[in-house]
Amino acid sequence: MHIPENYLSPQTCGVFGVAMVPILVHATRKVRAEVPAEKIPLIGVAAAFSFLSMMFNIPIPGGTTGHAVCGTLIAILFGPWAAVLAVSAALVIQALLFGDGGVLALGANCFNIAFVLPMVGFGVYSWVRDRTSNDLLAAGVGSYVGLNAAALCTAIEFGIQPMLFHDAAGQALYCPYPLSVSVPAMMLGHLTMWGAAEVLFTVGILAFLKNAAPSFGIETGTATSKSTIVPAVILLAVLALATPLGLIAEGDAWGEWGAEDLAQMVGYEPAGFSGWEWGAIMPDYTLAGLPDFVAYILSAVIGIALLVLVFRLIGLGRRTQPDFG
Amino acid sequence: MDERYTDKELPSWLLKGQDYEPAADRDGFVTRTFLQLSGMLAQLRFDGAGRSVHAPHVAMELCCVLACIILTSLATNFLFVCVMLAIMLVRACMLPARVLGRFARVTLAAATLTLLVMLPAVLVGQPRSAITLATKALVCTGMVMETALTTPAAELTAALRTLRVPSVAILTLELTLRSIADLGTVALKVLEALRLRSVGKNDRKASSMGGVGGVVFVKAAHLSQQTYDAMRCRCFTGTYDVGHDMGERHRVANAACLGMLAALLLLFFCLEGMV
Repeated sequence: MHIPENYLSPQTCGVFGVAMVPILVHATRKVRAEVPAEKIPLIGVAAAFSFLSMMFNIPIPGGTTGHAVCGTLIAILFGPWAAVLAVSAALVIQALLFGDGGVLALGANCFNIAFVLPMVGFGVYSWVRDRTSNDLLAAGVGSYVGLNAAALCTAIEFGIQPMLFHDAAGQALYCPYPLSVSVPAMMLGHLTMWGAAEVLFTVGILAFLKNAAPSFGIETGTATSKSTIVPAVILLAVLALATPLGLIAEGDAWGEWGAEDLAQMVGYEPAGFSGWEWGAIMPDYTLAGLPDFVAYILSAVIGIALLVLVFRLIGLGRRTQPDFG
Repeated sequence: MDERYTDKELPSWLLKGQDYEPAADRDGFVTRTFLQLSGMLAQLRFDGAGRSVHAPHVAMELCCVLACIILTSLATNFLFVCVMLAIMLVRACMLPARVLGRFARVTLAAATLTLLVMLPAVLVGQPRSAITLATKALVCTGMVMETALTTPAAELTAALRTLRVPSVAILTLELTLRSIADLGTVALKVLEALRLRSVGKNDRKASSMGGVGGVVFVKAAHLSQQTYDAMRCRCFTGTYDVGHDMGERHRVANAACLGMLAALLLLFFCLEGMV
């Protein structure tokens, strides 16, 4: 679901970039007001779960791959606005360090994956939970709907590019596939395999945390202790070591092809593809000279550590107001 | 009631209204000095509460950090730098909260400065060099800060003995650190007294700072005489033997540290094409 560089026009990227500014500002204010300072480092741990789940590539017939996001999981644990910040942080690290998703397309990726997904997912989760009183069922339904809502937004953003941005000969300047192609192609995988993966990750991790670390989220109101953090860290370590499983799936996700592959598929290379491209230090989570599975684990470790550090620092920046009551 | 005075005989100064409002004064320099001294003392008085009981001996850790810094600096393969970056970041995640801010400020400042200095390389089309050097600076500074911020000063100086640093140098260093702590406390008290005595606008405050320095200097002379007398009473003969014991309780951690260093050396030599 990550939109690579040059698949969206600069105008589209600009619109979504501007749209994300007030969203992120509002999310920051809400997190400052609603999340206790001691729980903010745990948002970093939750962001690390999201980062890892996005490294597990799951194939579907046809050769494309996709992944879960766990944005709804973070929204359930810490609130939807905390999920916006956490998934945005994960996407920024993926784009800057690993080239997963374009840097110019960061605004669009954050809008789809960090805003639409957790908001829709949490909304559906709340609605289902109020009617069934079953947290895990509600989490499963919410995460499934949230992921597909984000996928639909991504498909629409891809599909309107040929309509809005094309040359005199009618050839697309950016993504060449219209809505009639992009929507079915994106939604097929997300309605089936990747939706199921999102449900599995969300429900599985939520169930684990409820049993092993019940004070992990903010709803519990209890203080964070080693018994909260240790099970989560162990699960993170296990998932990090398992990330090379994502290498088993060959083939790129739909809409994440390189310029040469796309040129072979459509018969021409869109003119916009020769634009600026960011040089990540570990592109596609690999490093020259290192076996891919080792590079994947190394990328996972660096990504997790950075996310935990960033949110620990954000938590330090929150000054506790003295209680004069 | 005191019969010496009646209401009519109260002195005039007692009958004046208490409406004195002290004029505002600029005391930023004193306040800043006060805060800087307090921060420095807090750092010196750090007792290593954040240091894990499973951590290796300080001397072993110092040697490993030094070796890692040398290997990172010499590495020509960016892959090795990435591996060191991962190790440094994982260690940083485990730092106590109260030192994390300082760690982040210093390491990011070092990396940013390196990137700025290497900006011409980006402009001539060699961004990779800039990123490699900035990452190396980040890793090396991070490793040093992690050790410095989690180890009490006394243990660090004791570890220097294991590295064959002359004992007189270690003695001088320890006495210096102790004196800084003691004299810093004296300076804080004198500054506090100066602030309390400065009611309203005090034009002599700046010149009083000289008095603060003078008091600290006199106190330093007294302390050194007292230290010398104490050393003579305890039959100090000029040798200063810090324990060489690497600690039984550190055996496993020391072995793990050595094993990791050996693995990093092997990786370094493989990546540099020497094996």
